Amino acid sequence: MDMSDPALIGRVLEGDVQAYGVLVARYRDRYARYATHMLGNREDAEEVLQDAFVRAYRSLARCADRERFGAWLFRILANRCRTAGGRRGRHERIVVHDDAALVAAAEGPVAERSAWREEIQRALARLDPDQREAFLMKHVEELSYEEMAEITGVGISALKMRVKRACDRMREMLQEVYSV
Amino acid sequence: MSDFDGEAEFIESVARELRAPVVLTPALDERVMSDVRGAPYGASDGAPRRRFWLVRPVTLRVSPLGGLLAAAGIAAVAVLGTMAAGGGGDGGATAAVAATPAPAIRELPTVAPVANATGPQQVSFVFLAPEASNVSLVGEFNDWDAAATPLARVDARGVWTVTLPLRPGRYLYMFVVDGTEWAPDPAAPVAPDDGFGVPNSVVTVGGRST
Repeated sequence: MDMSDPALIGRVLEGDVQAYGVLVARYRDRYARYATHMLGNREDAEEVLQDAFVRAYRSLARCADRERFGAWLFRILANRCRTAGGRRGRHERIVVHDDAALVAAAEGPVAERSAWREEIQRALARLDPDQREAFLMKHVEELSYEEMAEITGVGISALKMRVKRACDRMREMLQEVYSV
Repeated sequence: MSDFDGEAEFIESVARELRAPVVLTPALDERVMSDVRGAPYGASDGAPRRRFWLVRPVTLRVSPLGGLLAAAGIAAVAVLGTMAAGGGGDGGATAAVAATPAPAIRELPTVAPVANATGPQQVSFVFLAPEASNVSLVGEFNDWDAAATPLARVDARGVWTVTLPLRPGRYLYMFVVDGTEWAPDPAAPVAPDDGFGVPNSVVTVGGRST
């Protein structure tokens, strides 16, 4: 049986609701990750993800290019995340000196890595939503700038600027965290 | 290590942590599918298909632009009714429509003020689609249900129309052609993109006249 996105969409549009469950399972984890990082907590992320899936289902006929269902769904999700807004994480001040120390912290023992991950999430939460969105799309979801422009409706130059500023801010905040 | 390399490595180390999967509530899939089953897609076993009830064809006047749009395969106009609330279907209301010349194709889809401006007002939607087998209207007023509000073909040129009561307010809408093609109303203003990739048309049903 053809389990490609276009085939599954075709089945859904013909009334096979269960076929949509395959699409949900296919995109759930990756998009949950994005929503969690955008919103800062799992509960809000799940709520937004659920909403995005249901909206996409009810508007499935509007997905003009079924081969790109994933990108279309991501666009819906990104919009829902923007609407839902982010939550700011708390921040503890510590300072670090250089890149080597930062990289070492990222590759240290489990406890250090756990703390490192928490600090990353706090720093991420402190970014402006536009910068956070651009950073996640570019560096975590590894989208091209063309794809990001299509999803966000923002020009490529502006997106590059957002990513650059996000990187600078992340670096600045994480340097503060690990410097004494 | 150059500054550039160091920065790239740092960002990658951050991104790598963020690429770790998140743990989801096991019931998430079922919640999604439960919602989906509660709102079946399109014309399957969902909401009952609403019977077409256009009382009497409103006066249509397709401008020369209509011909151009028709040549492009698809076109639309929104024609306005001015029937008072509760008047749908009776002779007086229909007369009110007949007494009001239908606007040309570029007329914005608003409704003229009526005596009871807070109640539902009859709004007629017209869509020109000569090749279509069926056309329906979807929008915020019918929960985007493609089965809820079918249009009826009213002449050989491929003019489709439906009239429905709407309370004063602003509504997003589109037409669905042959069950699959979603098309905005080219004669109506469009709303900012809502994330689905195709801008919706907007109809504003007027409130109390001042």
